[in-house]
Amino acid sequence: MDTPAPLSLEQLRGDLAAFLSNPYPTYQEMRGQSPVQMEFIPGGIVPGLDEPIKAWALMKYDDVYAALRDHDTFSSARNPFVEKGFFPQLVLIMDDPPRHTRFRRLVNKAFTLRRVESLEPWITTVARELLDEIGTGEIDIVRSYTIPLPVKVIARLMGIPGDDYPTFKRWSDTFISSLISIPLEERMRNTMEMAEYFGKIAAARRSQGAEDLITALVDAEIEGESLQDWEILGFCILLLIAGNETTTNLMGNALSILADRPELWRRLQQDRSLVEPVIEETLRYESPVQQLLRMTTKETTLSGITIPANELVAVFFGAANRDPKEFPSPDEFRLGRDLRNHVSFGVGIHYCLGAPLARAEAKISLNAFLDRFSTLTHGDAPAVRQSQSPVVFGFERLPLSLNVGGR
Amino acid sequence: MRLVIDYQECRKSGQCSYLHPELITADPDGTPRVTIDAVDEVSREAAEDAVDICPSGAIRLVE
Repeated sequence: MDTPAPLSLEQLRGDLAAFLSNPYPTYQEMRGQSPVQMEFIPGGIVPGLDEPIKAWALMKYDDVYAALRDHDTFSSARNPFVEKGFFPQLVLIMDDPPRHTRFRRLVNKAFTLRRVESLEPWITTVARELLDEIGTGEIDIVRSYTIPLPVKVIARLMGIPGDDYPTFKRWSDTFISSLISIPLEERMRNTMEMAEYFGKIAAARRSQGAEDLITALVDAEIEGESLQDWEILGFCILLLIAGNETTTNLMGNALSILADRPELWRRLQQDRSLVEPVIEETLRYESPVQQLLRMTTKETTLSGITIPANELVAVFFGAANRDPKEFPSPDEFRLGRDLRNHVSFGVGIHYCLGAPLARAEAKISLNAFLDRFSTLTHGDAPAVRQSQSPVVFGFERLPLSLNVGGR
Repeated sequence: MRLVIDYQECRKSGQCSYLHPELITADPDGTPRVTIDAVDEVSREAAEDAVDICPSGAIRLVE
């Protein structure tokens, strides 16, 4: 191929933090050549990975959409990092049909829109209690609100103590961090800690059940067979990590966008029907999950470019959501777009199981903030974007100044 | 009873046609189409589940 070589993540690594805090110019630069194979992880910089790992980057909306819908060609089950022990094998997001279909059926009922609606009064109570503790003035909203809220919610659904959330956060951070920043031994230790923790809880539920998801998992039989311990662990890690980090980031991104736009905050206070459109546009504008991997099972063609069988594909949700062909003036945060087609929750069989729950938590949270505070602005301390992972997009610290009265 | 999709609400997640292909199929662009005329005793449970699992609340059972 004679086109100029695109930015590789290796080149970006020189200024990886800048890329991670604002990947959109790079997406824009690479989109014209997409799909394009890049050095996803260069050889020799991660112990245990001597050969470079290459992946085809999908940056166009149409290609991302097509790949996500074609799960037969773009497999989720084959993941070289799992094969090498960097990650435990997660259930669902690392499964293909027919296994995926059985597992999805098993847990779907716990996360339906109707079930989530029945939880809303309780989630509202949790949100208000957290805001009671926060008070007013300058607060790091990540530590005091956007981390604890989703952890408390998912912990209750799963049936684990919500007070353990600093531990869950540490596990989650280790899990999603880039392979370079955390060595393989520490990752494996992390997995073992999680296995031990959830193993104990699963054992307790086997001897005495409760009204929670872990009990449902230990009781579940798929085609006459109980789930294996590693499958239950895979579920728990998935729920704890996919269910928390992403929602934390969605809420932080939304609050930061509002802190940047006092006019929008005032409009929301007068018209709460704008809360949901603000959340959907936040999902598009700053997708909490920026990319996930697939592996081709056969040769395939996207945008006229042939991708051979058995190759890794990085599906960039964050780039698809900023494709000007699908979303005019994509770098503008704008209400009034048709947002039914953003891909922040994916498309097709892997469509985010927790989407209704994430939307409900974000909606309840924005409303709780609007009920309580007359103004919400950035604090004096600087906001800090997470800089460990190219997969997720959110804040590590987000100091906000929260004020009541004086409208 | 019939299964009805509200295309204003539908986000084309693809869950209905994935988990209940006997009731709903998807066009190449992902738009779901109901393929049964009426929901009967046999298909009732599946139809109710299709309504339940739609993440957008876009599927209804109507008389």
